[in-house]
Amino acid sequence: MADVGRHPNIELLAYSEVENVAGYVGNFTVTVRKKARYVDVKECTACGDCIDVCPVTAPDEFEEGLATRKAIYQPFPQAVPSAFVLNIDECLGNNPIACGKCLEVCDKDCIDYDDKDEHVDIDVGTVIVTTGMEVYDPTELDEFGYTRYENVITSMEFERLINSGGPTEGHLIRLTDHKQPKTVAFIQCVGSRSENKGNPYCSNICCMNTVKDCLLIKDHYPEIDIKVFYIDIRAFGKGFEDLFQRSKEKGAIYIRGIPGEIEEDPETRNLKLYVENTTAGGTDCHEVDMVVLSVGVHARADSDAIQKLLTLQRSQDGFFLEAHPKLKPVDAATQGVFFAGCAESPKDIKDSVTQAGAAAARANRLMMQGKVSVEAITSTIIPDLCKACGICVKVCPYNAISCDTKAKTPAVVVEAACSGCGACSAECPFGAITMKHFTDRQIEAQIDAMLEYNSQDKVLAFACNWCSYSGGDLAGTNRFQYPPNTRLIRTMCSGRVDKKFVLRAFARGAPIVLLSGCHFADCHYINAVHWTQRRVEKLWDELEKKGIRPERLQLEWISAAEGQKFATVMRAVEDLRQKVTPEEIEHTKKALAGVLEPPKPKAAAKKATEEEAAAQAAA
Amino acid sequence: MAEEAKFKCLRCMSEFCLPYTPGVTEERTCPNCMSNSVRRLKEKKE
Repeated sequence: MADVGRHPNIELLAYSEVENVAGYVGNFTVTVRKKARYVDVKECTACGDCIDVCPVTAPDEFEEGLATRKAIYQPFPQAVPSAFVLNIDECLGNNPIACGKCLEVCDKDCIDYDDKDEHVDIDVGTVIVTTGMEVYDPTELDEFGYTRYENVITSMEFERLINSGGPTEGHLIRLTDHKQPKTVAFIQCVGSRSENKGNPYCSNICCMNTVKDCLLIKDHYPEIDIKVFYIDIRAFGKGFEDLFQRSKEKGAIYIRGIPGEIEEDPETRNLKLYVENTTAGGTDCHEVDMVVLSVGVHARADSDAIQKLLTLQRSQDGFFLEAHPKLKPVDAATQGVFFAGCAESPKDIKDSVTQAGAAAARANRLMMQGKVSVEAITSTIIPDLCKACGICVKVCPYNAISCDTKAKTPAVVVEAACSGCGACSAECPFGAITMKHFTDRQIEAQIDAMLEYNSQDKVLAFACNWCSYSGGDLAGTNRFQYPPNTRLIRTMCSGRVDKKFVLRAFARGAPIVLLSGCHFADCHYINAVHWTQRRVEKLWDELEKKGIRPERLQLEWISAAEGQKFATVMRAVEDLRQKVTPEEIEHTKKALAGVLEPPKPKAAAKKATEEEAAAQAAA
Repeated sequence: MAEEAKFKCLRCMSEFCLPYTPGVTEERTCPNCMSNSVRRLKEKKE
């Protein structure tokens, strides 16, 4: 950290918060609020004179509340910059000055009670999100008695207890009698791998943290007995298995089973753990002096704010979602944004450092070029047709469109920020947005061609490029059988499938239309798939009003790995097709005859068509 | 807080209740046939 603080090319903004991010890859403007420290960072030498005289004490957050700090303090040793910060909410010396002792004692005149928050705008080319994670609070798990029994502590609290810089200077003691414990129990997977309370996922780091703690205890206090209660030990990293075996050789006892209940002996304050030993069988009671809950981790509570600022995706577990788990593991879906560390998923130090290196390299590569290559599939506004309604601005997952609805000036697409999902084009009620590639005319031509002959025998399916189309591909390569009368139309995103495409397909005699896209958590375009669902729900209503059975429009979320599902869905849809009668198709054609009529020749529309043709020719 | 609403699967035609928050789009699956063609049944005004 000190190296980072000293690096000539790194400007460290500690005790600051990002309030806004505007712009796009290569041109981000980040608004940062530098919180008032009430201490001049440049002058403060962290001599500690102010700490000696400060009369206020508060729980020390860094020491997990096991020690106290003053109202003026250094958040933790080796903090960068090496200067104090004054918590003005706790300080007695502010307005009116009731104390002011730190002010009197400071030789350098660093204290400034009138310090104010400062906002700075920083222009950056790329952003790396390294917001970390939070540790699970096991208070809700009644059975372990955390906060009820003083000798039940979390692994984070244990970490401070055995740290030489911690409140006990590294001496392992029980909190009740300050004596060295004879037996310590570790309980694994607290708040992890649990469907009921806590989180369903494995927190990745807890097993090896416990193994490390066991070795530390055995190195310093060989006489202490250690019992580890676990579901299974996940020692999967390089050298981890050796470490696990070493801890066993040193005497740590591993018992497969998680205690169902902990009781405290009111006299000795010892703890009784009732546990089903799933290896040996039977229920045992283990009496120990101290219990350490190996707590898991979860996404930060303020991830929502970061997500909105940078238009990011989050997976179901709450961590930020990478653009592609294998091919772009450190990239966000938003261009120019990268992840490192536990913001993306729980990981240990080695993985965090590896990912940070990769993210820095990815960001550097972009900026070294000085220019950005974007996909040619972007949207374009036809100014003459745009009514400046602002719907496209709301739809765009990347905030790539801006529109002044009050001034009624046509919307503008920032091509560098546009990823080409096409949701804006599909949602625009005035047909004022066209795509470069996957144009309306191209897709309509495919529909017409596929349904030109024997339309009643075909199943027309729109499939998104990243998931459903790849799912279909996988079905093919795995030889999963599905009906050969399926006709697939690929779009970059299911959000591109305009209402008029579906109606056109029915008007051309399609018995069944299937619209398929990514699962909500996998959407390649952040949340464009939500618009697909909304549009289909409206279409079901519209079809019903026109006397067309809504079940003729099917919706499916199929991922690239679900080749089997793709084949199953296609077989099920074929069953539905066989139930659609020729009379029903004819009725639908009549009901939707207006859909196929060419639009009225307005000058603007004509110009738009010409522009589209020109764009195609140029492409 | 999410309330419950009645849904109909447009593949197997079964009807069932699922949590529903107005204005929130969610991925829904039919508990009977696992289809995603799940349509919310709107209450008809009398």
